[in-house]
Amino acid sequence: MSAPWVVGLDDPAAADAAVVGGKGAGLHRLVALGGRVPAGVVVSTAAFAAALGDGVDVEAPLRGLDPDTPLDVLEQAADRARATLLDAARSSPVLDAVREAYAARIGADTRVAVRSSAVGEDAAGASFAGEHDTYLELRGPDAVADAVARCWASLYTARAISYRQRATVGGGGAGAMAVVVQEMVDARAAGVFMTLNPANGDRSTVVCEAVWGLGEPLVSGEVTPDRFVIDKISGEVVRREIAVKPTRLTRTEDGPGTVVADVAPDDRERPCLGDAELAALLAVARRIERDAGVPQDGEFAVADPGGPDAVHLLQTRPETVWSARAPRSAAPAPGVGSALSAVLATLTRSSREDADHGG
Amino acid sequence: MAADRFPSPFDVPTPAGAEGWESMYDWYHLFGPERRELDEQRFWFADRLHHPDVLHPYDEIQCECWWQALGAFNTRVFAMPPAFGVDQRIVNGRLYVTPVPAPPEDIAARAEEFGKRAGHYYERWDAIYDEWRGKVMAKLEEIRAIRFDPLPDLEPEETVYAHTGHSAGFRMIRDFDRLVLTMYETYQYHFELLNIGYAAYLTFFGMCRQAFPDISDQSISRMVGGLRVELYRPDDELKRLAKEAQRLGIADRIAGDEDAGTLFAALRDDPAGAEWIADWERTADPWFLINTDPGHPGGYHTYPTWADDPNIPLASVREYLRRLADGSSIDRPTEEVLAERDRITAGYRELLDEADRATFDDTVALARQVFVYIEEHVLYIEHWMWATFWAKSHELSRALAAMGEFDEPEDMFFLRRSEVAEAIYDCVAGWSVGSRPRGAEYWRPIIARRREIYTALRAWEPPPALGPPPTTIDEPFTVMLWGITTSTVSEWLRTDTEDGVLRGTAGSPGVVEGPVRVVTHPSQLTEVQPGDVLVCPATSPAWAPVFARVAATVSDVGGIMSHTAIVCREYGMPAVVGTGNAVATLRTGERVRVDGSSGVVTVLEPDAQRPGEHADRGAGPSGTA
Repeated sequence: MSAPWVVGLDDPAAADAAVVGGKGAGLHRLVALGGRVPAGVVVSTAAFAAALGDGVDVEAPLRGLDPDTPLDVLEQAADRARATLLDAARSSPVLDAVREAYAARIGADTRVAVRSSAVGEDAAGASFAGEHDTYLELRGPDAVADAVARCWASLYTARAISYRQRATVGGGGAGAMAVVVQEMVDARAAGVFMTLNPANGDRSTVVCEAVWGLGEPLVSGEVTPDRFVIDKISGEVVRREIAVKPTRLTRTEDGPGTVVADVAPDDRERPCLGDAELAALLAVARRIERDAGVPQDGEFAVADPGGPDAVHLLQTRPETVWSARAPRSAAPAPGVGSALSAVLATLTRSSREDADHGG
Repeated sequence: MAADRFPSPFDVPTPAGAEGWESMYDWYHLFGPERRELDEQRFWFADRLHHPDVLHPYDEIQCECWWQALGAFNTRVFAMPPAFGVDQRIVNGRLYVTPVPAPPEDIAARAEEFGKRAGHYYERWDAIYDEWRGKVMAKLEEIRAIRFDPLPDLEPEETVYAHTGHSAGFRMIRDFDRLVLTMYETYQYHFELLNIGYAAYLTFFGMCRQAFPDISDQSISRMVGGLRVELYRPDDELKRLAKEAQRLGIADRIAGDEDAGTLFAALRDDPAGAEWIADWERTADPWFLINTDPGHPGGYHTYPTWADDPNIPLASVREYLRRLADGSSIDRPTEEVLAERDRITAGYRELLDEADRATFDDTVALARQVFVYIEEHVLYIEHWMWATFWAKSHELSRALAAMGEFDEPEDMFFLRRSEVAEAIYDCVAGWSVGSRPRGAEYWRPIIARRREIYTALRAWEPPPALGPPPTTIDEPFTVMLWGITTSTVSEWLRTDTEDGVLRGTAGSPGVVEGPVRVVTHPSQLTEVQPGDVLVCPATSPAWAPVFARVAATVSDVGGIMSHTAIVCREYGMPAVVGTGNAVATLRTGERVRVDGSSGVVTVLEPDAQRPGEHADRGAGPSGTA
């Protein structure tokens, strides 16, 4: 492979998902669209390949396994695969390049998130949501390098292997893994958005869920977030469901890592996003969707102290469920063409529905 | 907890002091034993949209006009597939209505007829509407030409030398008939276009909702409205008069708080002022023929028009002058509204499945065509025709009182229209013979008793509905016009309503807090302070001055297409409409939060005096509170 080991998010090479993985390519697209994305680099699939070196057969323990393999057998095979991989990686020069790139291009003391970015992940049709590892609030070259290696290894956790067996991406092989190393926003609030309403497939809305602090508890489903439904065309927030949010995940005062903290009593039932932040999010979500041509979902964080300019995008990818279907129909009955036929279908709808229900 | 039905119309007690109220209304308008089996099974709701208050006997004509015409056009003329007419009954002086569904087995055949008949109209809509305007303007000229004067001692010479061949007494009998018939005829035209117009509008609404379940009503109406319709012209004329006052250098003199009479008299004394007053007077006919009823304009004989009470339009002019002085623009941003309309229409269209776009285009085009009529007919009929009808009725009542048929003009309105015809005949016969009518002495006890009944009826709080509620309410016009839905009705049935929380329809988005100002009569509009939350039975276009001042509006009646909702959306101010009982529940001075996005009104600080007496409540159609 001729690709560099470490690629900047704004580097044209980062457009190639085969080099930077699904997440990396999504972030590159956001940067290219002028989205506000925290500084970062991608440790490429070429780096992954180089770290393994020639002649290291990581997948050997997995051959012959199938979806019916008992879980404990699968776990043991996965452990052996990961150990092989980590040994090879830690002795290769690739991680030194990662340490250097982190120090030089992000900052040797900057808190970063390290997230896996597998090839085939984040494509329409297979989200791989949460199947690979993510490390938050890391600081220092060694911690970053170690996390990159663990991300590689997370290709071979038992759950990732079984997910792949079901989704059969790339014929069931693990494929290649890139890793995103990205500065962490000191998040006042964070969350996810989707450029349609997943509850009903309404493509005229952007639905956004958010919590105080970092977004991970929301993404992993541990907490109930605030929920906002925003009309794409009018910009109006058509629904707000404000949750009680007693805790937030936040960075530790001076060390690496995160801690769960109490939310100030006055803030617990307050919306964690303001209208200006929602408007900024709407604008960027629409831009991303238009560019991609299919509905998108994504993650964002609002840097302290908030405001529209504090909204940062952390990732985006094609929405996988509704995208596969046609948009909801506007026609009051099949075969309606003219306005008159639409009027007739509307006026006779309830009698048709009664008939349909055997009434 | 919820009851499962409303009281039977046959179990509604007569309020103390209102015994014999039935004599005030036509027998066919009442619940009676002959129809009991049918009527007891039906769900009736109080039509507070058109008739928020007790009806005077004479004003029953208002109900009759639409009872018959709406019914005939739905049921017989266009064969509206799912809906017959809307039946009416009067209980304790209040109008209750029930939409009559078409029999399910007839719907398919009706749909075929409707396709041909309404299709004919849709294809030629603009041309038919042009014709329509001609017909209605001719009716307006007809009733404007009618004059009721006390009958002369001696016929004018013209009767003889022009060989007229009939007497002033005959003409009074004839012209009252003409007045009534002309109004009835106009109502035929009113419904010639209205319901098929609504059907097209509703179809567009339904299509948008189906494709975009989260879309707000406001967004849908914005795709259709914003046209240059004549309904806005009266308000535009007031803006023009404000600018004229500036140009003539008399803005400061007008800006004070003198009443219109004093101010206008003073203005006449100098050329600039006189020029402005002349302009005002030219403008007043027809643009100030604007009824000020809360709710359906022209619903009662008791409310003045702008022309009758120049203080109402003057308050608007003053508001516009204030805004001009602040340097803000008072012009309706028509171009922006139209550009925004096209932008959002294109925006939603782009999100549709490609296969639906042609139908969407065709339907939005039809909805826009019909919407012009839906808005403008209000000006021509609800304002101009009714204002003229009531003015002519007042003219007749003055003539009859002057001739001794009644003690005072207002007495006439306590008689049903058939009784007024009798009174005219009595009066004319006496005049013709040179003898004595039975006249005022005959009517005096009847009218005195009816005045007592009227007062007793006004103290009665009508239940929002009667009879068993249907499992679902999806009859399009009920939902659209009255804002009554399945959830409204279950809310009415709830007995454990949350204290201090009122729910209605989200009419216009946004959240504000402010002090309540209850307004039930246009005479109270001058009390409205900037930042007040206007609480009213319903609003009227004639109330324009207050919309510039209030922070939010809460109404008892109306749906998303009600005047209140439309105007508030235009002013970008939150509105909750169709709350059912805001006027009865909220008190002037209480602080409330109005959430126009969710349709909820919350009392934040109850009035300290509550539940004591409040001088500002209780003003009604008689306007004498």
